[in-house]
Amino acid sequence: MKILVAEDDAVSCRVLTANLKSWGHEVVVTNNGSDALQALQRAGAPLLAILDWIMPDLDGVEVCRRLRSEDTERSVYIILLTSLNRKENLIEGLEAGADDYLTKPFDRNELRMRVQAGARIVQLQSSLRERVRELELAQEALRNLSLTDDMTGLYNHRGFFNLAEHQLKMNHRSKTTSLLIFADMDGLKEINDTRGHQAGSNAIAAVADILRRTFRNCDIIARLGGDEFAILAPNVDIADAGKIIERLNSNLQLYNDERHHDFQLALSVGAVEIDPMSEVDIREQMGRADEAMYREKGHKKAQKAQS
Amino acid sequence: MSSSNLLIDSPEHPLATVTNRAIESVDLKILRSFDEAQEEGESDFVLELINLYLNEVPRLFSAIREAIAKDDWPSIKRAAHSVRGSSSNLGILQIAVIAGALEQLAANQHAPVGQLLLSLQDEFTRVEKILSAERQRRTV
Repeated sequence: MKILVAEDDAVSCRVLTANLKSWGHEVVVTNNGSDALQALQRAGAPLLAILDWIMPDLDGVEVCRRLRSEDTERSVYIILLTSLNRKENLIEGLEAGADDYLTKPFDRNELRMRVQAGARIVQLQSSLRERVRELELAQEALRNLSLTDDMTGLYNHRGFFNLAEHQLKMNHRSKTTSLLIFADMDGLKEINDTRGHQAGSNAIAAVADILRRTFRNCDIIARLGGDEFAILAPNVDIADAGKIIERLNSNLQLYNDERHHDFQLALSVGAVEIDPMSEVDIREQMGRADEAMYREKGHKKAQKAQS
Repeated sequence: MSSSNLLIDSPEHPLATVTNRAIESVDLKILRSFDEAQEEGESDFVLELINLYLNEVPRLFSAIREAIAKDDWPSIKRAAHSVRGSSSNLGILQIAVIAGALEQLAANQHAPVGQLLLSLQDEFTRVEKILSAERQRRTV
């Protein structure tokens, strides 16, 4: 194990170094606190340090304090060397962040055991960090594989495109028309700004519930992100679109009437029919639905301005 | 086995308790225990420590002398601390005790530090002889 020694007294330093080396450790030697601090902050620095308490410029306790105040993932195991055996001094050292201490002149076997204990902890810490890193990577991978949206339980962007693409292939084979709907919440930003983000999240979840209630369970309902939703309803053509949107609006109305929030849930909706024989892929179809939705949003705004 | 040749008549004096006991100048058992850290193929480790000590201590004594001349208490204290550390490590007990007392006097900015330096130097000549004999024993 690589160990840093900080000791200004040449004889003690040599004794310490020789002992550590005789047990197979690699030793980085420094003779004062600021060199020790620098050496411990370098990349690949030793993870175990034996610091003399009393040193010129920075003393061992100050080195401890500075290391502990840094916001770093790596933490050095610190053994303070002290010839002071008054209790308040030890407490000061431990409060500064030392892990252990050794009184000088140290007993060779005691030094050996304390270094061994430190090395064990350093190894445990690094294997723990390793495990945490592995878990984080696994979690990240799972998130990337996920098909559903955490907030609403609907499909997410990835889930929607995967399923819709497959559904369109089936529609092509069975020559059935489907309806693609793009819905965008009106005024989510105002809710967030005036009622707070929790209210905004609740509004999004409420819209998701209303969509679930309005559509059939064979329809693919997704929250694409933010305030955008998409639905692919197989076996429906544009002639039914009006009826569906009417049902959606009346469910929204019901919600708004039942709860007397000082905001109203509203959606701007664009719908396009997908011809089973069309070669146009789902992303381009989404573009069409998106345009239709924006036309409606623009229309709504114009109406609001007039009234 | 004489203790320090200092006369101590005050019970508050830092040396009052320690010099009541007879303390060896050099505990050779402690010094020779460093043979355990001897690495194979390397030059004699105890010999190296003796040479290091005999070089280092006079240097620290001069530092103390200069600091006393300048009334620089922190430097007196620091150098005395080093003398104590080196000495106690190698089993050079009497010097360790006197240096410890000097360190304490300096911490309290207590005046008679010059006396202690003299007794340190006096003790050092004794230690030098013992260490030289040990060096002799190891080089033949």
